[in-house]
Amino acid sequence: MFQQIFDAINIGIVILDKDLKVHGWNRWMEVHSGIDESKIKSSPIFDTFPHLNNPKFIRSCKSVFSFGNFCFFSQKLHRHLFPFKTTSYADSKFDFMQQSCAMGPLRDENNEIKYLFIYVQDVTEVAAYEQKLLEMNMRDGLTGIYNRRFLESKLSEEFNRHQRYGGVFSLVMLDIDFFKKVNDTHGHQCGDFILKAVSSRVASIIRNVDYLARYGGEEFCCLLPETGIPAALTVAERFRAAIEQQETNYDGEIIKVTISLGVSEFRKGIESAEMMIKKADEALYRAKREGRNKVVVMD
Amino acid sequence: MEIHEDQILTGEEGEILQEIMNIAFGKSAADLADVIDTHVVLSIPFIKIMQVTELPVYIRDHVKDYKKISIVEQNFWGRFKGDALLIFSSGSGKELIAMLQHGQVEMSSFESDPIDILERETLMEVGNILIGACVGKLAELLKDVVTYTPPMVVVERYYTDALSGKQFDADKTAIVLKTDFSFTEGNVSGFLFLVTSNDSIKWLKDALRIFIEQYE
Repeated sequence: MFQQIFDAINIGIVILDKDLKVHGWNRWMEVHSGIDESKIKSSPIFDTFPHLNNPKFIRSCKSVFSFGNFCFFSQKLHRHLFPFKTTSYADSKFDFMQQSCAMGPLRDENNEIKYLFIYVQDVTEVAAYEQKLLEMNMRDGLTGIYNRRFLESKLSEEFNRHQRYGGVFSLVMLDIDFFKKVNDTHGHQCGDFILKAVSSRVASIIRNVDYLARYGGEEFCCLLPETGIPAALTVAERFRAAIEQQETNYDGEIIKVTISLGVSEFRKGIESAEMMIKKADEALYRAKREGRNKVVVMD
Repeated sequence: MEIHEDQILTGEEGEILQEIMNIAFGKSAADLADVIDTHVVLSIPFIKIMQVTELPVYIRDHVKDYKKISIVEQNFWGRFKGDALLIFSSGSGKELIAMLQHGQVEMSSFESDPIDILERETLMEVGNILIGACVGKLAELLKDVVTYTPPMVVVERYYTDALSGKQFDADKTAIVLKTDFSFTEGNVSGFLFLVTSNDSIKWLKDALRIFIEQYE
């Protein structure tokens, strides 16, 4: 009678014998794998799932049989033990069902370990939720580029690495000229529209190793790893020219803006990540003072 | 809080427990070599009974040579139940990754995962195996079967931050079973503490008596 639980439960259950042949395969496993228990029973698990033939999985099985251990396969590292399709068609970020699995011993009446069980739990929804939270935590809601917090942590990482191992990287700070006027003349919604247009144009130019972030209201910051001043200056100049040429159509009206930019570089004498931002900021303000729509390099 | 009479192991009981631990750990070391492909040296375990509140200080005194530690903690429950704390020296996680990989990249997600996640998972896996081996063998000899919770891990923290007295229930007694272990391959060592509350002590006294009767 209690056997029914085995097939009714919303968890996958696999039972393997000491030769790692399948002894049990519940209905959940049948449904998600498309393989009937009668087809897989008595065959080695590696015949159907050859990817499980890896040191970690084998180590885990051995420790269950030797010590009666429980072993855990977290979704974070393993994603899944069994490659199954996700159950929901809507808005899935994953190619495969995300699984949290564990294995443990099954004993006979003399307490001897005869089999091991694996249970498989579908955690796709939780994993998707977690990923969304992580995204929200590192991206700016309006423009979709990285946010200030993410940039600052990336910058301090780069800074520490370069302090230890040497090498060079640069920072470009940029700010939209007369942005207040855009807001005052065309309204804040138009201002938001311009922020999105500028950030996506700049984002289309950077390499995929660079990090572009919204630093403040209309201020952006771009981190360029392994890049010295000469190359960073070229990149900054490319940003400036691209925005100068860009025409944004808002509600039938063509709006043009320019940006001012400041560039700083990691070099001897710069003692902190904050100082790099400060140097780039100072250069940016000099660009503003010297007439805007301009790139200025730190002293 | 006084330790009650019936919570204390007699000298004889202590010796039996010591002996069982020696057997259990001897067996574990042999089987561990088979499971993780490297020999683990487990020292002769040391047994001490104390109040749980003294434990953080005791552990701290024994790991004081470690600048930073990683801890794997796992609860186990059977009739013998408690908490296992496995304390690794600084840098162990990265050593263990290298040891377990044996030059082959086994994890498909190896490249995309930051090293700290991998380190965490490796400590967790090795911790899980070591704790299971020691607790499992001990339980087996005492004719008990235990179940485990998923391990929790704290990676590379200063020991003063990692261990505080707050999480320990003040009116419990702890049997501390301490062993130090090291891997012959790789520069990894640490301590294992098993902390059982006084619920388990009565059962343990009975189990020890039954165990020794086999030989009398």
